[in-house]
Amino acid sequence: MLIEVEQLTKRYGSRVAVGGVSFKVKPGEIIGFLGPNGAGKSTTLRMLTGYLAPNQGSIRIAGIDAIAHPTEARQKIGYLPEAVPLYREMRVDEYLRYRAGLKGVARRDIAGRVDASLQMANITDVRRRIIGQLSKGYRSRVGIADALVADPPILILDEPTAGLDPNQIRQVRDMIRGMAGQKTVLLSTHILPEVESTCERVLIIHRGKLVGEGTPGNLQRGDASAQTLVIEARSELDKARELFSKVAGVRRVSDAIVLPESPDLIRITLEADHTNVAERVFQAAAEGGVVLRELRREQTSLEDVFASLTTTEASAGDRPSESDATDAAEEADSSAPPTGESAASASDKEGT
Amino acid sequence: MRATWIIARREIFSFFLSPIAYVTLVSWLFLCGVTFWLLVGAFSQQPGGSATANPLSVFFGGSTLFYIMILVFPPILTMRLLAEEKSNGTIETLMTAPVSEVSIVLGKYIAAMFFWSMLWVPTLAYVWISAQTGEGVVDPGVVASSYLGVFSVGVFYMAVGLLMSAVARTQIAAALLTFMVLTAVFILGLGGFVFPDEKTQAIFEYIGVWSQMGAFAKGIVDTRYLVYDFSLATLCVFLAVRVVQTERLQ
Repeated sequence: MLIEVEQLTKRYGSRVAVGGVSFKVKPGEIIGFLGPNGAGKSTTLRMLTGYLAPNQGSIRIAGIDAIAHPTEARQKIGYLPEAVPLYREMRVDEYLRYRAGLKGVARRDIAGRVDASLQMANITDVRRRIIGQLSKGYRSRVGIADALVADPPILILDEPTAGLDPNQIRQVRDMIRGMAGQKTVLLSTHILPEVESTCERVLIIHRGKLVGEGTPGNLQRGDASAQTLVIEARSELDKARELFSKVAGVRRVSDAIVLPESPDLIRITLEADHTNVAERVFQAAAEGGVVLRELRREQTSLEDVFASLTTTEASAGDRPSESDATDAAEEADSSAPPTGESAASASDKEGT
Repeated sequence: MRATWIIARREIFSFFLSPIAYVTLVSWLFLCGVTFWLLVGAFSQQPGGSATANPLSVFFGGSTLFYIMILVFPPILTMRLLAEEKSNGTIETLMTAPVSEVSIVLGKYIAAMFFWSMLWVPTLAYVWISAQTGEGVVDPGVVASSYLGVFSVGVFYMAVGLLMSAVARTQIAAALLTFMVLTAVFILGLGGFVFPDEKTQAIFEYIGVWSQMGAFAKGIVDTRYLVYDFSLATLCVFLAVRVVQTERLQ
């Protein structure tokens, strides 16, 4: 194991920012650290990089106890902080030479390492520019070049694509994917497509705790509770809603609308167990005289998994329309009494 | 050790990229020049001169202007050191590099001592000018002890500035804190002029930069002052290391 974290805890006064997080990372893995803003992602990464001392817990970086031997452990890590702090008055290559020296790159290797990191971050064209005059996209790539300059086995990138334009985001993602197998990358983000497109494994953190872990694919499939069926049919809306909500395995009707094309065309969205609900829906439609135009299963997106894991226990529950995830989280404690169903599904999810 | 030099080098490099460096240097040269010019003017009214009573020796500690300058300039030289890293956030990249807090603080301190020494290099011109004009006025021993005195004061003052820069979150706060502490110590030193009791006088004189420079500018190398400056500097640097270490515990 390249990174081993045990029961990591950080408190700011009485507020627990990270509470007992444990995980392991194998060499060559690309791990996504996912969570809403303020979930404790940055704090956790800052503890891994040695910037913050944890109140409790242990960190081993490449077998080195990072709390007892912080300097040796930091030698193994290239770190891009979230804010990408740089010395604005320096030129790009001056800065990278300084950072390489500081990280203990031998004097004769510095020029070569600086060139290599400029190339990897794709900023060779601005090497003589003053950092303060660069655009945000370039600046964050200077930060990435800094993380790479000493050729560390581990890269820790805190929101590496924040503030970049779509092209730059793609470049950064390609770059990270290109490191698969050579470097171990731990990146944090609150952007889901980023994780789906770059990471082999995802750790979902919420309110300072790990609430989910797995490959993006596993998390999607593993959340059996949230299969979604979309039905388009020729029928009366209320009748169809009534009919389908009674089908065994259907948890709730999450959406029911009349399509604009014609008053008797409707679309109903069902949330169902992953048992063969589609077949039963078909059966019920045939028996109830509802003419199906379309019946399709929508794969749960990572976004749904994320939302269900990071909004508090009681999910949007039995309310007719879906509401904003954060609203749901806030209101859940007071207004919606957890039904047996949603409580069960929540505990399911904790287990994944 | 290598990291210490690298940090010091970058600090010096960046200082000379900032306009503050040039404003500081120009105003320092201007004030020194005016002081020296006034002293030469005053001495030219009186006949004769000696190794311990000439424009140069009075320049090093015999005039009020000199003390105003050595209280005002250290805060400007040291305010950036750690406070800027904190306000820019670069402290995070610095503290996640594989270097110890001791290396960071010592690197900054070396840079500060470089800035301080740099201020005094142009004043060598006054030594040259004095040597040209008066015969037997410039005694190399007195000149050397004057510069030793100035260096020793710098060892202490730069360490105070470093500590305040470690404590403060912004450069302005660091500068103000440094100025306050240095002025407080300076005023304590004036106690030597206030108290009638000789023992009390001696204690305050020991603390004060006025009596220290008074002695060194006359060619008296009093090691008590050196011990005082170096031990307080060591304490300040040590405290600065502790302050930087607590940054991780925030």
